[in-house]
This record gives sequence, structure tokens and C-alpha cells, in this order.
Amino acid sequence: MAERIVEEMRPFFDPKAVAIIGATNKKGKVGNVIFENFRMNKERGIFKGNIYPVNPKLDEIEGYKVYHSVKELPDDTDLAVISIPAPFVPQTMRDIAEKGIKAVIIITGGFGELGEEGKKLEREIYEIAKANGIRVIGPNCVGVYVPDTGVDTVFLPEEKMDRPKSGPIAFVSQSGAFAAAMLDWAAMAGIGIGKMVSYGNKLDVDDADLMDYFLHDDEINVVTFYIEGVKDGRKFMEAAKRITKVKPVIALKSGRTEYGAKAASSHTGSLAGADAIYDAVFKQTGIIRAEDFEHMFDLAKAFAALKHKLPKGDRIGIITDGGGAGVMASDAVAKFGLKMAELSEETKKFLKERFPPHAVVGNPTDVVGDTDAERYRLAIEAFTKDPNVDAILVIVLFQVPLLEEDKIIDILAEYQKKSDKPIVAVAMGGRKTDRYARMLEERGVPVYPTPERGVRALAGLVRYAEYLRKVEGE
Amino acid sequence: MSREEALKVIESVLSQDRTAMVEYEAKQVLKAYGLPVPNEKLAKTLDEALKYAEEIGYPVALKLMSPQILHKSDAKVVMLNIKTPEELKQKWEEIHENARKYRPDAEILGVLIAPMLRPGREVIIGVTEDPQFGHAIMFGLGGIFVEVLKDVTFRIIPITERDAKKMITEIKGYPILAGARGEEPADIEAIVNLLLKVSELVNDLSDYIKEMDLNPVFVYEKGKGAVVVDARIILKVPEKK
Repeated sequence: MAERIVEEMRPFFDPKAVAIIGATNKKGKVGNVIFENFRMNKERGIFKGNIYPVNPKLDEIEGYKVYHSVKELPDDTDLAVISIPAPFVPQTMRDIAEKGIKAVIIITGGFGELGEEGKKLEREIYEIAKANGIRVIGPNCVGVYVPDTGVDTVFLPEEKMDRPKSGPIAFVSQSGAFAAAMLDWAAMAGIGIGKMVSYGNKLDVDDADLMDYFLHDDEINVVTFYIEGVKDGRKFMEAAKRITKVKPVIALKSGRTEYGAKAASSHTGSLAGADAIYDAVFKQTGIIRAEDFEHMFDLAKAFAALKHKLPKGDRIGIITDGGGAGVMASDAVAKFGLKMAELSEETKKFLKERFPPHAVVGNPTDVVGDTDAERYRLAIEAFTKDPNVDAILVIVLFQVPLLEEDKIIDILAEYQKKSDKPIVAVAMGGRKTDRYARMLEERGVPVYPTPERGVRALAGLVRYAEYLRKVEGE
Repeated sequence: MSREEALKVIESVLSQDRTAMVEYEAKQVLKAYGLPVPNEKLAKTLDEALKYAEEIGYPVALKLMSPQILHKSDAKVVMLNIKTPEELKQKWEEIHENARKYRPDAEILGVLIAPMLRPGREVIIGVTEDPQFGHAIMFGLGGIFVEVLKDVTFRIIPITERDAKKMITEIKGYPILAGARGEEPADIEAIVNLLLKVSELVNDLSDYIKEMDLNPVFVYEKGKGAVVVDARIILKVPEKK
């Protein structure tokens, strides 16, 4: 089964040749933006496949030969992207079936979301797809974005929407608008997205298929979902259980009050809103629930960097150069159900002997405002060796005068690499701080703008590690 | 444990064109799957009631069973702590009169004669069916914890023993079960057992059961068990196979 899903989905992410059905030279039209995305990525040397625009009324776009019908397409075509009006899609699907293309992304809207007529079209397409073993993403979606292979069916032009760099995070979204906004934001925030899929009406490819695919995708080590609803609950749960044993899955579920007003004849029925049910599903399958957009990417960032070294327990050690920030972090530790580590006697002795008397040795350890990078190094060294500490939160207020920025960045990156305990950093500040934070992240240290968000991300790592230990025990 | 016994009750209810079981019927289904229900008897006549009360031992409780009266306390058809046969005779009249006043057309299946139970910590266990994920089981503390604070938790059925344990500890009211302020801890094992049995029952009868409330369940001190005090089951009309 594993091989089958990988083989079926491959053309979506790395096609040999893509047919763009509805390609046009009219600027701003969906069929033009998608064609331009592929064309530019080919020019840049990222997209290595062939590009075949399809349009009965054109002979040539930007030097590319335009095919008048699907039937004329060269035989290496393994992905079709459709952006023609809904009523024409079924016939095109028949041609695609005849041509033997097995992967189709239907960008076009105007289907099930518009009522009975659209649903009928959708069913027609579904039947053609099923009968011919064609996998379909969409309709009514923005499709797929893969920075490494240059697949980009997002019909929002690059002038209007930035694309994120590549990274080990997969992002799946039912909503196309949300997916587009997220990619734009991720680009700005420096978050790497390895693969994005927006599946719209989920006519065929659904969350469960994507989980099964990403389970076997070595480029991806954390999967994030923006979910509005699930069609086949049991299939979803089975696929989720399979992947969460191997990679973390983070879900943001909207529509929290969907069934809020549902009349129910029993107590239990009246309390079982969709939200309570999804909470249950996530707990039982090991999916980590994100409270909001920010939380989802805070978690994704932590997992992307630290999936290979999850904390062995829930005891957090905090190092800070500001007392207030240390207190905020300690509060957050309690709030998110973690524990403050009790430092060992060796750690305390080691630090007391080396620290000036006004520095505070304990948890949090406060290296105080006149700190240099070396004082941080000593604290991190001691914490990584302390058997009572499972994970380390390092708060760096880069603003203090004696702290050498490049040195502290080197130290954090070095210990992240050599210690088996996860380290996350918190850097509160403005423009200058943001620049140092980026440098840290590029070297494998996830950085958060507040102690609370840093601790909340750690809590995600701790909970997932606990889940893995439990399922291993069963 | 017997699926057949439970199905007999279910089919009898469905054959009367009903989907809501009365308490007595619901408890027979629970009993068939080994859930702890009190030693109760359904009396059709006053003579039977007197005989059963004698067998069970005074004090007893009376609960009138009618498919048209599912909210028994609203209709005042529950009488507690009846200590003598004389009192029972008097309450028997009263309970029937209340039923007639509340719903003149109420069909009366009988009166449940139940032992007065020693109060325990109250919990609620429920089941509902979600259109996407199927049956889900709920757990919470009874009374205001469920009514006002909505301090409950859900899992999709079937659940594992680990799920059951986690459900109990993750509600905010857990310290009340664990034994707060010097109180003895409650019989957590008994609750785990109840949750697992409900999960098994519903998994087994998923074609028939739509919703279920065991409310309240009395949980006693560690090692002393638990008992389902009141129960409701709502059936769905099974699809013809």
C-alpha cells in the first residue's frame, strides 16, 4: 500500500510533464498565472519537466507550443492542471482518462460548493476518476506548491504573493485563500515549506491520503493541517495513527461551534459539539492540536528543528539575562502543564564557582544584564549535563551591552548540535533582535518572540514525546 | 454478558414504534453487558410492588415507567425513601395521580421498585453519535460539573484502557475523585471498568444505539465499586440488512 500511494501521488509533486488546460496569454487570468509559474520556474532551472499549455484557440504562448486538445498531448504528460469553466471539466476528464494521465489538479470552482448542479458535475468527475484510476486534487482549490521541484499551481502571481523557501514542513489546507495567505506569511517569517497542498472540495485526495503519502516522504518531517471538516472519520483516524508514530502532525481545526446549536435529546448529545469530538479524535490519534495560526507554526518550527531529539521528560530548565522574562517563562511552564527542573547540586556548585555573586544560580538561572556570551555558555553547558533537565529554554535579550551577538549565536548553535536535549530560544525585541533570531533559526535553533510562545512550543514537543512513549508501550 | 438478551429488549422497544427506552429497559440492556445496576424490579400492580419491596428490603424508591414521561422528576413520578408498606400504598396512589396530571395519555409500563442507594460521588457517562467519526463516549462529574461547568471529555469508541484512564484524570474535577481535602479516593478502577464496558456495549450494538446517558452513576470509595443509578438509551431504527 505504501508504494501505491507514493507512486500515485508522485506526479502531483514531481511531474515529468505538466499539461496546463486553460492556459492563456491574458495577464492575470488563472490559466496565465499558473502557466507563468511553471514557465518562470523552468527558466530558473527549478522545474525540470516539460510544460504543455492546452487551449483550442491559441497556437503559441511565450514561445511554447499550445496543444488544441488533451488528445494531442505528448505521451510523457503525467499531470494535468485544469482551469477551465466547470461545465467543461467532465469532457476534459474523459479525454484525460483516454490519454492515460493519472494525476489531475482541478483549480476551477463552481462545483459542490454552489449547490445541486455543481454536485452533479462533481459526481460525474468522480466517477470518471474512479473508473480510470485517476487521482484528483480539488476542485475549487489552489492546488500544490513544491519549492524544490518548481510545481506551483497557486494562481496568485508572484508580484502579489511571496513564495516561502523550502523546508521540512508540509502544509495542507482545505481553504485556498488561507493556504495562499499562509504561504505569503511563511515567506516573510522565514519558515520553510517543503510541500503545500490545498485540496478544496476534496473530491478524491483527502487528508488521509496525504498523511499516508507524507509518512513516506523523506523531505518532510512535520505535517500541518488546516481542517474545516473530515469526510471519512474512520479513514482519517487510521491514517493519523500510522503517521503520528513516525512524524508529528499538527492540526488547526476551525468551525469550533459548528454543531453548537444542534438540538440533542440527551445530555451527552448537547455537550458533544464538533469541537469536543475533534479534541477526542486528536487525542486518540496523537495529532497535536494548535489553538491558532501562530501556535501551529510555532509548533511546526520546533518540530522541524528538533523532531530527532524530543525531550525525555517534562522538566524545563530556563536561562535568561532578564529577571522578568524568566518569571514569565516560569509562569508559562506551569500554565502549559510542564515542570520546572530542580537543578542538581553539581550544576549549582559549578555555576556558583564561576559566576559573579550578583548572578542568580537556580531555575531560572539569571545571567543578568552585564552578561557576556561566556556566562551563557557556562549555564548552557551545566544545564545540558544536568540529568534533572529534559529541555532548555534560553532567553536572550540581545539588547544588553556586553553580549557579543555572534558568539552567543555560535554557542546556542553548537550546543543544539552536540547536546541530546532540545534547546529553544526566546528573543524579545525589535528589528535588530529579529535579525539575530533569523541567524539563530538558520543554524537550527527555533526562536520565539515571547517566553510564553517558547514554552508553549516546548510543551508540544513534550506532549508528542509522551504520546510516542505510550504507543510504543502498547 | 449477552448480546441476545440486550437485543431482545431493543427489539421489543422498536416493535412498539419507540426509540426512547424507559429507565427499566435501558438498565436491562446495561445489565446484559455486565454493567452494575441496582437490584430493581418492575411492579405492574400494588401487590407486586409490596412483594418486591419486601424482597428488596425497606427503605425503597418508586419510579414510574412511562414512554411518555422521560423527565421523571418534572412529572413528580419518583418517590424516595419509602419506609413501610403503608407508606408505599399511599405513594403508589400519589405517583399514579401525578403521572395522570402530567400526561393524561401516559401509558404506564409499571413502577420500578428500587433499593435506596448509599450516595456516592456522582459521575456521568454518555454516548452520542457523530456523523463523521461514529459513536463517541463522554465522561464527567455529575450535577453542576456537567450542567454548568461542562467539565466533560470525549473519546471515539472503541476506547482502550489507557484512553479510559486518561479521560478520568483529564477532567478538571479529577481531584474530587482522587480524594481532595482528606476525603478517601473514589474507586477509579470501577469507573475505568464502566467506561470500557460501555464502549464494548456500544461497539457491539452500534447499529441500534444513537444516544445514551448513564446519569448519575454513584462511585464509592476505592474497592467499593460503582452503580448506575439512572440510565437513558435512545435507539436508532436499524438499517435493513
